[in-house]
Amino acid sequence: MAIFVEQLLNALALAGLLFLVSAGLSLVFGILRVVNFAHGVFYMLGAYLGFTTVAVSGWFWPALLVVPPVVGVVGALLEASTLRFIYRRPPIYQLLLTFGLALILEESVRVLYGPTAKGIDPPPLLEGAIGIAGTLYPRYRLFLIVLSLAVGAAVWLFLQKTRSGLVIRAVAQNSEMADCLGADIARVRTWVFGAACALAGLGGVAAAPMTTAYLGMGIGVIVDAFVVVVIGGLGSIPGSMAGSLIVGAAQTWGAYYLPETAMVIMYAVMGAILIFRPWGLFGEEE
Amino acid sequence: MNGPRALALAALAALAALPWVLARHQLSILTDLLIFGLFALSLDLIMGYTGMVSFGHAAYFGLGAYGSALVLVHSGQPVPVALLAGALLAGVVALPVGWFSTRATGIYFAMLTLAFAQLLYTVAYKWRDLTGGSDGLAGVPKTTLFWGGPSLATPHAYYFLVTACVVLALLLCRALVRSPFGRALQAIRENERRFVALGRAARPFKLVVFVIAAALAGLAGALFAPFRGFASPEVMFWVLSGQGLMMVLTGGIGTLIGPILGAMVFILIQEVLSSYTEHWMIFSGAVFVLMVIFLPGGLVGTARRLVTRA
Repeated sequence: MAIFVEQLLNALALAGLLFLVSAGLSLVFGILRVVNFAHGVFYMLGAYLGFTTVAVSGWFWPALLVVPPVVGVVGALLEASTLRFIYRRPPIYQLLLTFGLALILEESVRVLYGPTAKGIDPPPLLEGAIGIAGTLYPRYRLFLIVLSLAVGAAVWLFLQKTRSGLVIRAVAQNSEMADCLGADIARVRTWVFGAACALAGLGGVAAAPMTTAYLGMGIGVIVDAFVVVVIGGLGSIPGSMAGSLIVGAAQTWGAYYLPETAMVIMYAVMGAILIFRPWGLFGEEE
Repeated sequence: MNGPRALALAALAALAALPWVLARHQLSILTDLLIFGLFALSLDLIMGYTGMVSFGHAAYFGLGAYGSALVLVHSGQPVPVALLAGALLAGVVALPVGWFSTRATGIYFAMLTLAFAQLLYTVAYKWRDLTGGSDGLAGVPKTTLFWGGPSLATPHAYYFLVTACVVLALLLCRALVRSPFGRALQAIRENERRFVALGRAARPFKLVVFVIAAALAGLAGALFAPFRGFASPEVMFWVLSGQGLMMVLTGGIGTLIGPILGAMVFILIQEVLSSYTEHWMIFSGAVFVLMVIFLPGGLVGTARRLVTRA
């Protein structure tokens, strides 16, 4: 029982991180019709900037507040200076362009921070473990679960209850019609891209105390996030949530029962779902 | 004699003459360029002619490299046996992957191929007993052309083997895209729905071309392992898959010869940049971003447009 609870919480913490990354990936696809290959690199950028902020300020909390907007601005600037010009092309060109951006960003981080991993200490409040159902569980992972739930709720409320959210949903549904009705499509795209990058950056800062900041964490997470959105369906926030839970569970229990083949479990689950739903659980046929 | 044919003959003559002109290390670079040209050519078959963008093509290059390395290291068979083994291994693995991936189209297909490639990379990394893990398989020998035949260990001999493979693969791909099968592929690329509406099933075509492309990428990998003397997980990594896409785009999507040239230009740019800075990836990334924005037709596509306009 204690082991089960521990595994369950591990799965939820992992799913929380995956959700922070895949929600942005899915949102960008819904609005821009672009699969952002560089999305994972923004996650990595968040982790490294988090390291810098903690090193400078000596505190963890400012990093959580400062880093996401900074990553978001970097993302929005890149969208406005490159992607903006090629939306009319076939989707492959946008994917290739973001691949180029990923190379530039990844190597820039290597230049700035060097090849070694950078660790961040969790804030004192979240250090140590807490007793749950007869097991000691790290406080920081519980915080990750709460944080991702809060962010998920905030994103959902923003999209459903605010006027900006309404415009974004309108653009996602039919961008030409939204354009005719006076929505500023170019601005919506830039803001959504920036916001998605900020979410990935937040995920990076939040992950760093657990995983450290290291080169290659971006590609690791983007591959997992791809699996998440393939399972859940691109462009759907509930889909990202469901996909994150499934992948989190598959990885956690896979690593526990079959440590050598944990990755295979994840792909087996994905394959099984795709046989029945080629466009993912919540996705729509293109 | 028309222009393209004259160009092709001139290129063949140049390929035949170059070994006597180039220095030893230059010939080795040229061999390298041709191997990656073959890799890019195989990618163009699915990307340019069928509209299936694979983000995991390096996996088949890597499978070919491991297949040929295992045969050469453990049995010392002639190189062509190893080439066949590499291409076969890549093709066989591509069958289930393709079966799954072709269920999806467009972006989903790209993501699925990437996911499977990372899976194969992890297997190559973890299966120490067979693949040597992160160290890879070293000391892959360039054996002979056939049993008791001439050795391929000289740079000249191996260069001609590679050139022969690339030229044959190019001719095969050319015949393929001009056949009814190839026409069907291009019809799928242009409008898959209409193709289906006309009463044809698209998936068998896509699966077959995916396996052919994987086998050709495997052939490139199988040539690579004895050439460099090793096979390691890096040759299966996503970076190479992405670079493959860049090579195809640099040369010109859907032109067959373009990707081969694109691979050459791409690697030469990389060589030049890396002699100036170890952070060449930033610059090659930037060059690539600019190419996507300003030269979507690539070298061959842009050249053709200029020729037809003139």
